[in-house]
Amino acid sequence: MSTQPISTPVAAPPPPSEGRRIRPWSGFERVQGILFVLPALVVLAIFLIYPAYYTIRLAFYEGDFHFGFFHYLGIANFKQLLTNDPDFLDLSKFPPGGALINNLRWVIFYISISLIIGLGLAVLAVRVRYERAVKTALFVPMAISATAVGVIWLLVYNTDSNVGVLNALWHGVLGQHPVSWLGNPGIVNYALILAYIWASIGFVMVVLSAAIKGIPAEIMEAARVDGAGEWNIFRRIMLPMLSLPISVVTIWLFINVIKVFDIIYVMTTGGPGTSSRVIAFTMYEETFENGRPGYGAAVAVIMLVLIAPVMVLNVRRFRSERVVA
Amino acid sequence: MKRRKSLVASAVALAVLAAGLTATAISAKPTRHSANSIEVLSLWGGSEKDAFLKVTAAFTAQTGIKVVYTSARDFIPEVRTRLAAGNPPDIGILPRPGYIGTLAKEGALKPLSSLGISNSYMAGNYSAGWLKLGSSGGKLYGVPAKANSKSVIWYKPDSFKKYKFKIPTTWAQLLAITKAYKAKGLVPWSVGAGPSQSQWTLTDWFENIYARTAGAAKYQALFTGKLKFTDPSVATAAKIMTQIINNKYVLNGVQGVLGQSFVGSITDVFGTSPKAQLFFEGGFVGGIATGQVNPSLKAGKTIGDFPWPTIKASLDHPVVGAADFAGAFKDTPEVRQFLKYISTGTAGKIWVSTNAVTSPNKKVPASSYPSPIVRAEVKQLATAKTFLFDGSDLLPGAFGDTWGFALQDVIQKPGNIKSILSTFQNKIQGQF
Repeated sequence: MSTQPISTPVAAPPPPSEGRRIRPWSGFERVQGILFVLPALVVLAIFLIYPAYYTIRLAFYEGDFHFGFFHYLGIANFKQLLTNDPDFLDLSKFPPGGALINNLRWVIFYISISLIIGLGLAVLAVRVRYERAVKTALFVPMAISATAVGVIWLLVYNTDSNVGVLNALWHGVLGQHPVSWLGNPGIVNYALILAYIWASIGFVMVVLSAAIKGIPAEIMEAARVDGAGEWNIFRRIMLPMLSLPISVVTIWLFINVIKVFDIIYVMTTGGPGTSSRVIAFTMYEETFENGRPGYGAAVAVIMLVLIAPVMVLNVRRFRSERVVA
Repeated sequence: MKRRKSLVASAVALAVLAAGLTATAISAKPTRHSANSIEVLSLWGGSEKDAFLKVTAAFTAQTGIKVVYTSARDFIPEVRTRLAAGNPPDIGILPRPGYIGTLAKEGALKPLSSLGISNSYMAGNYSAGWLKLGSSGGKLYGVPAKANSKSVIWYKPDSFKKYKFKIPTTWAQLLAITKAYKAKGLVPWSVGAGPSQSQWTLTDWFENIYARTAGAAKYQALFTGKLKFTDPSVATAAKIMTQIINNKYVLNGVQGVLGQSFVGSITDVFGTSPKAQLFFEGGFVGGIATGQVNPSLKAGKTIGDFPWPTIKASLDHPVVGAADFAGAFKDTPEVRQFLKYISTGTAGKIWVSTNAVTSPNKKVPASSYPSPIVRAEVKQLATAKTFLFDGSDLLPGAFGDTWGFALQDVIQKPGNIKSILSTFQNKIQGQF
């Protein structure tokens, strides 16, 4: 198994220097260029641009079961979602609830914990002889489908302490009353987040550990010769040099978290009640369960609005980055 | 120069390939089954699926028409997706009459009369109550396929004998047994209304209580949109439900209810290491308990059932039940033949011989049922003075699930029943 699934930007070739003039393209080269891009453009237009346009347009309609543009509503769907749908956004109580707020919980806890644990493991793993074994073990959950992850964690969280590992510890070892981790609206979101973190840290660790290996050894040696401690090396050399891969991983995690669906579908179907719904799950529920394609499309548009700026930021960051080893 | 040429060639090849793909994507027609075969979509799995496959095998043997069975756990999203794609199954087994209305209004279902199955023929095989449930807008769309009583409570006869409990006939007696079990240090009930869509068990609790406290007329009105969920009778019934479903009397408390699945809760009571004593759900529990959970159970000794007790003496004990209906999305000669076949007594007899289902078909006699547990259920269904259809299944679209979610809130916060009910009423307002 390759432990370097994506090439890290640290090792990217330097951008063309400002001074070099690029020779104007000949006609043949132009045609060639267009031909090269054409297949990608065609595929992109059919499978991305057209559906996106369709969904955005549908969000302003009620929609019928053929997903047709039936009964124009204007922005009524969005208004209803953001002001009058406590399952999507409920600011009337404290802490606020609804799918949007749940997703915010996911963003905060899933991203930060995955990053901290992933980075910690990456830094520690390079220092031991059995690095390969550790990495392989931690990467395995990444190869399990989210559905299987859901089933595994359903067992872990089982209320029966003879089945659920967590309750076996809680009840059997600590002598506490068994807890229904997925049945308590106050816990269920964190229980789901934990399961998803388990499935993702392998990836974070592998990417960051590859980036760490890309940091030239001379810099660290020089720092050590100058008397820098290990903490200082991590804080002042590793972290700054890892800032680009960390931001890439963060964006990957962010997109992952905004579109999280499968694990919730398998483990709680948004319950108990509607307390573990997230944006993507609401979209599915409204479109297919409740048969409201227009309303579901509006949820999808909100999701797109949340993801798009992060994507733009990501692309820009890649362009402007001048970190070259 | 040679390299460049080959590059251009491959670019052109790619473009052609992409264009080709596009063309296929656009011209792709819904897959057509070979003639002489039909597709049936249903959410049945396990013993219910096996029983149905026995019926389809008999159909194939008789007519030579092959039946492709497709299982969809999430029935309605699957149907909606396939309808939108113009590729619906030939026949769908609709798990709720509520769906019949929704799909018929969208023009997706074919009325039986247009398929050569006359109303008078159907009336000869099914009672008027069933046919009404399979109808929408005065037209009959669904063939009642299988039925179940949901007004039975499961217990352990040996344990009742040991503690000298009598079969309770009133709610007060049931509560007394519950308290007596608790006093002996046992957990009286297990309820599974949690992960993997088990919230429907709570709707069945509510329905049985509501039918016994508000009466059949209000029950019908409530679940058909003529009575609001904010009616005081609803809150009263919900409150009575929490007399049993609370932290004192159910396994692992209310949190345990929300963390346990339906089959898991059967295992809690009838599994090989039982933790609770009483269980409520429909007649199908018998098949799951003896077939799936614990084959060593013995009817009349380690597992038995009694009818839901009365709550208000004047309202007696109406039977709440449920059924699945077969409806056609396409009109082909094979579909016509299949629907006709499964509505016959012959098909019904094969079906019930598996012990997995009971048949609403009048031409299936009680003697065709091998198991005594199932026979008792059939008797209850046949002799019920008042038969009420599962209310949550009558609610439009997926509101049956939404209602279950609301009841999950009720058992967690019995103090907030009123506001939970008014929130639900706001959601369902205007949906009927």
